[in-house]
Amino acid sequence: MTVSTDYTAQEIIVVAGAKILENNKIVFVGTGLPMVASLLAKLTHAPGLIPVFEAGAMGPPLKHGLPISVGDSKTGTGASYMKGLNAAFELTQRGFADFGFIGGAEVDMYGNLNSTMMGDYPDGYQKPKVRLPGSGGASDMAASCERTILIVPHDKKKFNEKLSYITSPGHLDGTPGARYKAGMQGKGPYRLITTKGIFDFEEKTKRMRILHTFPGETIESIQAATGFELLVAPDVTQFAPPTVEEVRLIREEVDPNGVFVKRAAK
Amino acid sequence: MTLKEAVSRFVKNGDNVGIGGFVNLRQPVATVHEMVRQGFKDLTLSFQSAAMAPELLAGAMMVRPDHCSIKRIELAYWGHEAYGLSPAWRYLAERGMIEFEDWSNYNMSARFKAGAMGLPFIPTRGPLGGDIKNTSRTKVIDCPFTGRPIALLPASNPNVGLIHVQAADMYGNCIIRGTDATCAEIAMASAHTIVTCEQLLSHEVITSNPKDIMIPFPAVDAVIQVPYGAYPGACRRHYYFNGEHIREFLALIAPMVKGGSSDALKAWYDENIFGVENFDDYIEKFSTKKLLADQAAESYHCERLA
Repeated sequence: MTVSTDYTAQEIIVVAGAKILENNKIVFVGTGLPMVASLLAKLTHAPGLIPVFEAGAMGPPLKHGLPISVGDSKTGTGASYMKGLNAAFELTQRGFADFGFIGGAEVDMYGNLNSTMMGDYPDGYQKPKVRLPGSGGASDMAASCERTILIVPHDKKKFNEKLSYITSPGHLDGTPGARYKAGMQGKGPYRLITTKGIFDFEEKTKRMRILHTFPGETIESIQAATGFELLVAPDVTQFAPPTVEEVRLIREEVDPNGVFVKRAAK
Repeated sequence: MTLKEAVSRFVKNGDNVGIGGFVNLRQPVATVHEMVRQGFKDLTLSFQSAAMAPELLAGAMMVRPDHCSIKRIELAYWGHEAYGLSPAWRYLAERGMIEFEDWSNYNMSARFKAGAMGLPFIPTRGPLGGDIKNTSRTKVIDCPFTGRPIALLPASNPNVGLIHVQAADMYGNCIIRGTDATCAEIAMASAHTIVTCEQLLSHEVITSNPKDIMIPFPAVDAVIQVPYGAYPGACRRHYYFNGEHIREFLALIAPMVKGGSSDALKAWYDENIFGVENFDDYIEKFSTKKLLADQAAESYHCERLA
């Protein structure tokens, strides 16, 4: 496979996200890059991937291309099951979703995500500095999916010890059994994909740990762009750059109109 | 009954308004246009994920606060997915102009479901762990049966629900194609429900398969046929998103977040809502070519005989 020398930060996120997804698993897909990565996975190594969209559709083949909304008609065509939001979330709460695939604007070392507000919390909750869209279904996926995959663009201001607001709970404060004690189910954050690398959450401490660096990044450069101390896996490797074919698939077949994957040069 | 009559009869100042659809899918856009035209104050809006419906009401508040105002929002998500963040949401929240209560999509859907079941609350796992339980009326209790923590959410029973569907009969029996979103729950939970539909069909056709009825007639107070009633959002089997128009509308609001002028937005409302008699007049402003293209895109995605 020829390695691409011309790919964007979003494109490598999409390739990484696709590779983490496993064939024949049920993945509850949030809006944006998770949809792009899921479609790429279906077109490559995971044709049997079963996406669930919170507006209601389960298992569509996505033959008509990338949905631009989780309620897009394209999610309904060929779906094996489709009711409404309650039905989609009930099957997740019942434990049928192997993965939840979500994004956020801010993340902490335990994989807790914020997509609600930036500013002073709790005092400034009703008058935030920046108001974000809100949870959508992300907090429900975080509380009930078996494992979650997170996407957050890497930025020191967005990787903080303390979040402005915890929208989607991850490993909470990292103490053993924290999720179970809080009443949640599932193992919590499994992987985090950023613009700089791929991370897991160390078994004992549940702290964010560098697993793979993206080309051009080092452990040091990633640490320097993170607002808390990262753990480092014993065998950190460089994530292979996307192949020419993967980049072509993203640009020509998965998201030809640049709906979620912007064309700006890296 | 016309949409004008329905809105004037069933919506009041201070009402809690339940908004159907999901993001820009089957939003009750025509009904919201009529609400803006008539003007309502101190509204509470309740929805899971919404886009053009709250955007139009909030935009009206930004240009004519004496005519239209929102007091409070109970929501999971207000934004436009691929078409961007909601500038009106940022404008109102960052200036402290409205109260709000954050929930999740499942929380709001379950709250409508509790309302639809005639129960005061519903247990879910959704808000556990994060801050949603701390900024909302969620009560976390130890389950009396398992002993594990569980969240109780208050039922949502809007004063009026606004729902757009593909087809209905004159009594209010509704058929929904594609995702049901949370429309049936909202209609059942609300004290009154205004339904707009693409197709108004005979009772016999609509009820030929009774299991197709998503919303039964007792839950509905008014049914009005409004073709393109969710436009520029999408309606399965009828039309796909007019993303260009959504983006253009958001671009009129966006400068105001940073303190820019309201002139362009005001002109839009004058031309498209205050300056027209009804929603048909607004739809007439789009080119036939564009309306046909959005229909064609939708039939391609649906892959079925008309």
